[in-house]
Amino acid sequence: MNDFDYLRATALDEASTLAKTPGTMFLAGGTTLIDLAKCGVERPGTLVDITRLPDLSAVTVDEAGATIGALATMSRVAVDAAVTERYPAVSEALLLAASAQLRNMATIGGNLMQRTRCAYFRDPAGYPACNKRMPGSGCSALENVTRDHAILGTSDQCIALYPGDLSVALTALGATVRTTSREIPIARFFVEPGDRPDRETVLERGEIVTAVHVPASAAAANSTYLKVRDRQSYEFAAASAAVGLELEEDGRTIRDIRVALGGVATVPWRAEAVEAALRGRRLGETTIREASRAAVEGARSWYANGYKIELACRVVARAIMEVGGIK
Amino acid sequence: MSLTDSPAKYGSVAGSETASGPLGRAALRGDGSLKVRGAATYALEQPVEGVLHCVLVQSTIGAGRVAAIDRSAAEAAPGVRLVLDAGNSLTLAPMPDFFGNTPPGDSYVPFAREISFNGELIAAVVADTLEQARAAAALLEVTYEEARSVPTFSDPRAGEGRAVDAMTKEWGEPDAAFAEAPVRIEATYETPREYNLPIEPHGLIVHFEADDRLTIYEPTQWVDGTARNYAGWFGLSFDAVRIVSPFIGGGFGSKAQGLPHSAAAAIAAKMLGRPVKLAVTRPQTFTAYGGRPATRQTLRLGAAADGRLLALDHDAASETSVTGTFTETLGIVTKMMYAVPNLSSRQNVVPVNTVLPGPFRAPGKNPSAFAFECAVDELAVELGMDPVDLRRVNEPDHDFETGKPWSSRRLLKCYDVAGEAFGWAGRNPAPRSMREGRQLIGWGMAVGTHPVYAAPGEATVRLLANGSVEVSSSAIDMGTGTYTILAQTAADVLGVPVEKVTVRLGDSRLGRAPVAGGSQLANLMTAAVHKTALAARDELVTLGLTDPNSPLRDQANTLTVADGRIGASRGGAISVGELLAATGRDHLEVTRDTLPEADRTPEERQRMFSTLAGRGALPDLPVSRHSFCAHFIEVRVDEDFGTIRVSRVVTAFDAGRLYNPKLAESQFKGGIVMGIGMALLEEGVTDPRNGRILSSNLADYRIATNADVPEITTISVGEPDYDATPLGGKAVGELSIVGVAPAIANAVYHATGRRVRSLPIKLDDLL
Amino acid sequence: MASLRSMELEINGAQYALTIEPRVTLLDALRENLGLTGTKKGCDQGQCGACTVHVDGERVLACLTLAVQAEGRSIRTIEGLASKDDTLDAVQQAFIEEDAFQCGYCTPGQIMSAVACIREGHAGSDAEIREFMAGNLCRCGAYNGIVAAVRKAAQRIQGAAA
Ligand SMILES: Cc1cc2nc3c(=O)[nH]c(=O)nc-3n(C[C@H](O)[C@H](O)[C@H](O)COP(=O)(O)OP(=O)(O)OC[C@H]3O[C@@H](n4cnc5c(N)ncnc54)[C@H](O)[C@@H]3O)c2cc1C
Ligand code: SF4
Ligand code: FES
Ligand code: FES
Repeated sequence: MNDFDYLRATALDEASTLAKTPGTMFLAGGTTLIDLAKCGVERPGTLVDITRLPDLSAVTVDEAGATIGALATMSRVAVDAAVTERYPAVSEALLLAASAQLRNMATIGGNLMQRTRCAYFRDPAGYPACNKRMPGSGCSALENVTRDHAILGTSDQCIALYPGDLSVALTALGATVRTTSREIPIARFFVEPGDRPDRETVLERGEIVTAVHVPASAAAANSTYLKVRDRQSYEFAAASAAVGLELEEDGRTIRDIRVALGGVATVPWRAEAVEAALRGRRLGETTIREASRAAVEGARSWYANGYKIELACRVVARAIMEVGGIK
Repeated sequence: MSLTDSPAKYGSVAGSETASGPLGRAALRGDGSLKVRGAATYALEQPVEGVLHCVLVQSTIGAGRVAAIDRSAAEAAPGVRLVLDAGNSLTLAPMPDFFGNTPPGDSYVPFAREISFNGELIAAVVADTLEQARAAAALLEVTYEEARSVPTFSDPRAGEGRAVDAMTKEWGEPDAAFAEAPVRIEATYETPREYNLPIEPHGLIVHFEADDRLTIYEPTQWVDGTARNYAGWFGLSFDAVRIVSPFIGGGFGSKAQGLPHSAAAAIAAKMLGRPVKLAVTRPQTFTAYGGRPATRQTLRLGAAADGRLLALDHDAASETSVTGTFTETLGIVTKMMYAVPNLSSRQNVVPVNTVLPGPFRAPGKNPSAFAFECAVDELAVELGMDPVDLRRVNEPDHDFETGKPWSSRRLLKCYDVAGEAFGWAGRNPAPRSMREGRQLIGWGMAVGTHPVYAAPGEATVRLLANGSVEVSSSAIDMGTGTYTILAQTAADVLGVPVEKVTVRLGDSRLGRAPVAGGSQLANLMTAAVHKTALAARDELVTLGLTDPNSPLRDQANTLTVADGRIGASRGGAISVGELLAATGRDHLEVTRDTLPEADRTPEERQRMFSTLAGRGALPDLPVSRHSFCAHFIEVRVDEDFGTIRVSRVVTAFDAGRLYNPKLAESQFKGGIVMGIGMALLEEGVTDPRNGRILSSNLADYRIATNADVPEITTISVGEPDYDATPLGGKAVGELSIVGVAPAIANAVYHATGRRVRSLPIKLDDLL
Repeated sequence: MASLRSMELEINGAQYALTIEPRVTLLDALRENLGLTGTKKGCDQGQCGACTVHVDGERVLACLTLAVQAEGRSIRTIEGLASKDDTLDAVQQAFIEEDAFQCGYCTPGQIMSAVACIREGHAGSDAEIREFMAGNLCRCGAYNGIVAAVRKAAQRIQGAAA
């Protein structure tokens, strides 16, 4: 790691002001930041430790929704009784991520902000060319080994995957990200690489995520997160899906459905086409499998990740079947 | 059911003449208490005053040369003491590696100028703190002249490679027999680069106490061989180098010799006159030593309609580096496993731009069994025969490769016992015939084997006045249980409880020992300790009978030693301590080795232990010695996702006498766990452009986690085999990984109807 | 250049003063500065669990924690697990009995993780133990023994509490 200064913030506006200086970064659980600093990807001049800021780690659940403080740890939120009951997809996404130790360290705010696991991105010594690290330097992944790269939301500048799980659940459930200065619907929080793959969210310098708000809904209460990977645990998703489902009184017709994908796109990926195809339809395996094909509209595969196209559809279908009670 | 409580009939030590003593008991691990307290001191934890920290810099191109290294920024960085590269490094003498490859030329510098693989050592930075050294290492400005590299043998430019003459074997008339065989199959099988990845990364502390005397704290599977490396590099005598390695955080073949980074740390220590500590980072370990090379094997099997094998043709290739030869011996199982009257086997090594590959748990045997045992399964399908029945039909009454009889081979018993415990008889042979919900269930089986190797060992036994016993040797324990079984051996002979025996290992100042590799160490060191303890007992008896001051003098023809006491079988006994005190000693010490009797100079003796020469010194035996096992495995495959989970494993082992069944069971299970990773997860992914290892960390190179491993059932059907080794054991440590991957691949076929012939079997193979 | 920073860390109930750069991880501070080498380094990247310690009673990875972040927190390492009179913790004892290790290098991390796993209430079944111990890799493959040891220790602890 490069040499850096360490400051411990005691108040939100103080932290915000400190971080306006270029080279200054917030330090939360450190599980992304310290890791990337060791890789030489992040080279902070100063770290502002925000973990001791007051009032940012509460989890409150009421009729309107769940408000999860940005400094709450993944493990705390995962086992919160109200979250587990009313937002099962959120709890499951957290529990299926990383390891128990990492979940004890990592915060919700940091989790949203985690960065890609693209092997070239993480190896600056070996691969100087990476548009995400340095716009205009090129992309080392294109035309190369890309089993773990994205098929959706890519650009000719960057095909790196967004690796997180939680944000997929939050995207399906229409969460809002609260910051020191505004409220941002999660669908607008993450930005696709386009020609500026270094910009991953709309956060401005010095802006701090303070909480995530998940609105209450029947679909949220009947939701799940399905994660598929070669290793049974402690691995990022090869493909994943968060699904929330609300049925009509008849118990068979879909009133509301929310679908988002992980492990396949450059940002958490809402599959509105699947939702539209199923809204008002009757639950049934064939219907669901057919509709799920819309999840990968516009997908493009690169060398070795073509399998994700088929896999994503199946993961979406199975997740819908799971919340729909189809065994 | 497990090994330790398997039916008495298949107990670990049945029929052994020492069954009543401690050897063969399921004693708890002797070093366990230290390990669970975090008090076992591994190499980098040795308290050495005033160490400097050394950090490695590796090449980022796959071939070409280092045009220039600008050291100035790094040299100016805070805390930096030395920046080393080929330009300013001390020059050492070249030393042959494990396999006899000597670096070209008459001198050796561990920092490359000519680059032969991506990740090759090119420089090192030494600073006061680890953080300073790491940061400065990032400041080196390296300019390369890059050449085109040939990163893998899948690259067409790699060509066919060169034949390894020693691997060519032919008997009978394989071509004609194959042509005439009524049932034939042909298929090609591949395994990727695999890495040993002991969870303790490589590293060392080097301390020159004087210009011509040094101590090295380094995890090594071979203290004496490693000492020879350093002595040779620095032109010192063997005795001038002390290697200390009491605990090793795993090795699996990767920690048996001095490597370039070892030389780099030693050079830094020598040039700076200060002790230097070097920790290879996890990503760097992927090229700091060689793992298992990628392999490719094409097998053609011809069989009679009743399943008898008529012909076998085996065409193999493995990667090696462009600078040296390592042969992953792929014909090794193929040639001896079954009764094959007509056989042809050959192998090429294909030089590519990689670090020189090296031994990794069951080198050769493991990928050899993968290809062959999958092919046998394919043949069974072709024949419409049960795969166990097919193997029974081809059970050989002797080793077809050497023509020798087996010292013992209880593989049929393995089929019986493991097959029954697994419930194999209930298997519907049709693929996709079993399911539970959306999970397809498959049952597969395969066998494993490992040769019994032998080499001489040496041990010292000290009997102390307080009745306790000390055993010492430079042999090592990397979790294999050496501390424990040597204590059991000495306790057995000397009639003391195991707790009274202290074992000291892993220090080149102690008695000589060969490499802990090839699953040989347990057999040969128990033999050495057994012989030495017997000699110590004899000396004690002689002392009691003949020493003028012995209270037992002339009391009987002989004396018995038991429970820390010595005396005539009838009549009074005194404690060993009393005898030693009466005869004016505080201890009695005996050192013996198991070299064949011969006059040897000290240099020759040393060579026997510090090179592979020791193996050659032992007489050729008239029997073929192998351990065997049969794995029965169940997998569950999600029919949508292609994800594979191993849900059941039952394995029966014929590994001769088990000196400690509890620890042997741990070894067996450990090999199976590694086999699960090999079958489904582990893959060295290489950048086809420049040979950089893209999966060079523990997240991308996936090894099995706890959640990937079901409860494993292990059963021993072994019996003491005194034709194989002096105390009746056979090979244990590497045996169990052999055959796991094919058993899983065969189970995946049974579950899905898909035959995947290239490891690892990933979800995308089954979509 | 960032200046050295003096700090006090509370480890296993004792106060340790040290002066180090802010970039020093808790793992390196323990192993290189404080001589507490029971905590192991297997990857230094959060990918193996060998460096698991407890901070304020929760299992975390010392390799991704800066030492300075642990100021004012209570740190427990493997060296502080046995009681003052050197009696082994129930988990340590069970690890020996079940031969839940071979080389022993992952073991301190496994044990610290297991103690927390039981305390969190995640040792209810073998499947749960496997999942909640999945963040601790063991290359020797001692997983069966580890599950058995955690199960046994959990039963003993519950038995003692009941
Ligand atoms: C081995 C390993 C495996 C993993 N597996 C998974 C997995 O399977 N699934 C998964 O989802 N994740 C996984 N992760 C990622 C992990 O979840 C994230 O690293 C973690 O959630 C990040 O949170 P943190 O608090 O540690 O963030 P930090 O590392 O402290 O911060 C990350 C980034 O966010 C910024 N930041 C942090 N908090 C705020 C805030 N409140 N406002 C503004 N900016 C902020 C920081 O400046 C930094 O740039 C894994 C990580 C590792 C190391
Ligand atoms: S895919 Fe994106 S992150 Fe990866 S190398 Fe290309 S630009 Fe960099
Ligand atoms: S050393 Fe910290 S997780 Fe591996
Ligand atoms: S005991 Fe060796 S890595 Fe776990």
